[in-house]
Amino acid sequence: MTGWGRITRAWMLLLCIAGRAGAQVLPAEPIAVAGGRLTFGGDVSATIGPKDPGFFNFTDYNHSTLRMLRVDFSAAAKAGDHFSLLAEVRSENLGQVRPYALFVRIRPWTARNFDIQAGRVPPTFGAFTRRTYANDNPLIGYPLAYQYMTTMRANALAASADELLAKRSEGWALRYSVGARTFEGGVPLVSAFRWDTGVQVHAASRSGGVSGTVAVTSGTVSNPRVRDDNGRPQLAGRFEWRPVSGLVAGGSWARGPFLSRDAARAALGALDVDTSAFTQTAWGGDLEYSRDHYVLRFELVESGWRLPTVAAPALPQPLSALATSVEGRYKLRPGLYVASRVDHLGFSAITGTGRTLPWDAPVTRIEAGLGYSLQRNLLLKVAYQHNRRDGGRLEKIDNFPAAQLVFWF
Amino acid sequence: MSQAQRSQSKQSTQRRQAAAVRSVLLFVCALIAGLCSAVPAPSAVSAPAAAASGAIRGRVDVRRTATAVDRRPGVADLGSPLTRPIPDLRRSVVYLESAPRGAFEPNEGGRAVMDQRLETFVPHVLAITVGTTVDFPNSDKFYHNVFSLSKTRPFDLGRYATGSSKSVRFDRPGIVRVFCDIHSHMNAFILVFSHPFFALTDADGRYRIENVPPGTYGVIAWNEGNASESKPVSVPDGGLAEQDFTVR
Repeated sequence: MTGWGRITRAWMLLLCIAGRAGAQVLPAEPIAVAGGRLTFGGDVSATIGPKDPGFFNFTDYNHSTLRMLRVDFSAAAKAGDHFSLLAEVRSENLGQVRPYALFVRIRPWTARNFDIQAGRVPPTFGAFTRRTYANDNPLIGYPLAYQYMTTMRANALAASADELLAKRSEGWALRYSVGARTFEGGVPLVSAFRWDTGVQVHAASRSGGVSGTVAVTSGTVSNPRVRDDNGRPQLAGRFEWRPVSGLVAGGSWARGPFLSRDAARAALGALDVDTSAFTQTAWGGDLEYSRDHYVLRFELVESGWRLPTVAAPALPQPLSALATSVEGRYKLRPGLYVASRVDHLGFSAITGTGRTLPWDAPVTRIEAGLGYSLQRNLLLKVAYQHNRRDGGRLEKIDNFPAAQLVFWF
Repeated sequence: MSQAQRSQSKQSTQRRQAAAVRSVLLFVCALIAGLCSAVPAPSAVSAPAAAASGAIRGRVDVRRTATAVDRRPGVADLGSPLTRPIPDLRRSVVYLESAPRGAFEPNEGGRAVMDQRLETFVPHVLAITVGTTVDFPNSDKFYHNVFSLSKTRPFDLGRYATGSSKSVRFDRPGIVRVFCDIHSHMNAFILVFSHPFFALTDADGRYRIENVPPGTYGVIAWNEGNASESKPVSVPDGGLAEQDFTVR
């Protein structure tokens, strides 16, 4: 069966679920067993939309967020007041089931807001990374910083500025002359679809007004990994301040070696290479204000990659990208809301032979939609998305209507 | 008839009329005294209405092991969630399925409170009559967003901070499931009745419905969305009826 056939079938299945859910056939709440020590939850979202010839909404080589059935199952096992084991598995378009999260949470002092998490842990960086589930996202698409595939790869690189400029807009599937010679997708500024592996420490004040998190992980924010491929970890931190109810201000930072050892070897022509110079450094700032029936969010992510230069014209250091997004949601009446997001992703300019251009084609996205709760845990979203890309060989403008059915427990 | 006879007859009629007026005045005074007194007067005039009311009492045995709605596994959270109290799910509501005539008169509307404390609605179950306004204060240091999608009374109070309160008036009978839009594990029930013949069980499952006019009624016990079968209960004139229930 084709991917599209699967999605159509999934929609039919979800519509059946929607019909029967009213009779409470499916769980409306998390399933708790063993006296609440073991809890299971789930998220199912089916999204239907037209083809995306400009690959604006792709998250990897095969998957578009506008044509996707995503199934998540999560579990939490509590062993006393100090230890929990948390896990999540995910399947996209009924494909392979992949572990998304698996970590132990340790709370050394139950009276203090201090936790240590180790394993495949949730992202430290950014605000959107913790609300990527369909029922937490008021729209169907994702902010560009967390989803849009740039022409940056961790296991391959352009030899020169000319080669990089030639690939503008082709982040969905591209091949470079240095490093892995396969066709693969590029990375987003921050990946919302894979989690990194390492150790994370989180602390908050007694009132919860101030909190901070630091993490040491094997990948980087744009390329989270289970196994380190360059021998050096990433350091990331996040700080949150809640001065008054409804206002959250956050700041994030991350820095770690980005380029794989194999790609660095290919670029430098040496077996013994130091990858610590080829880093990704990211900064983020976010602001959320909510009151009564509305929520407003603003987020800014800046990322810079340092790569070796193989040939002239040289790649400037760093190659940076800046993403900004503004999002709002307003509830019109019980169970019905409208939402909108305006998003822009820009890139620093580089100079090739006879031309100076952003190293990837800048993208702007405007999305507006509404959500209607068929029941508390069954949400129907419809949205309209306008995408515009300034440059590159692929489609410049794409407009999409899309619908999504979300079920969670 | 002579003038004397006519005069005697007139005086006799006046005496009867005066006696009748005294009787009426006495009756009115007795009635007023009976109505004004907190303790029913021992007269035959005021006794029936107060003495006729009975009561139904008993116990509800909840066999089903109801568990509080747990948090969803907080896989994306950076730390442990707040420790919250477990709501008392063994509290049941016992009510008359069919209420006596006159029980549906318009209610002036009282007030009730459902607090939001440590990510829990307190109380977990509220039983009110139609016309009651329920206040939803926020006693936590963070936002809550109370809402309901029930057909009886859909509402969404939006987000509001600690120390604030918003209210909803319930004008239709039915069951209203209440949630928080921010904390998915927060939930509660509001049972809205068109009559006053209901009672909430205590910690031991005991209940008592007061002031029930004599008659035979169907009585139902309800717990966490599950209702028992209706049981017929006869309330004697001024007496007490007993009925126990099991909710599975």
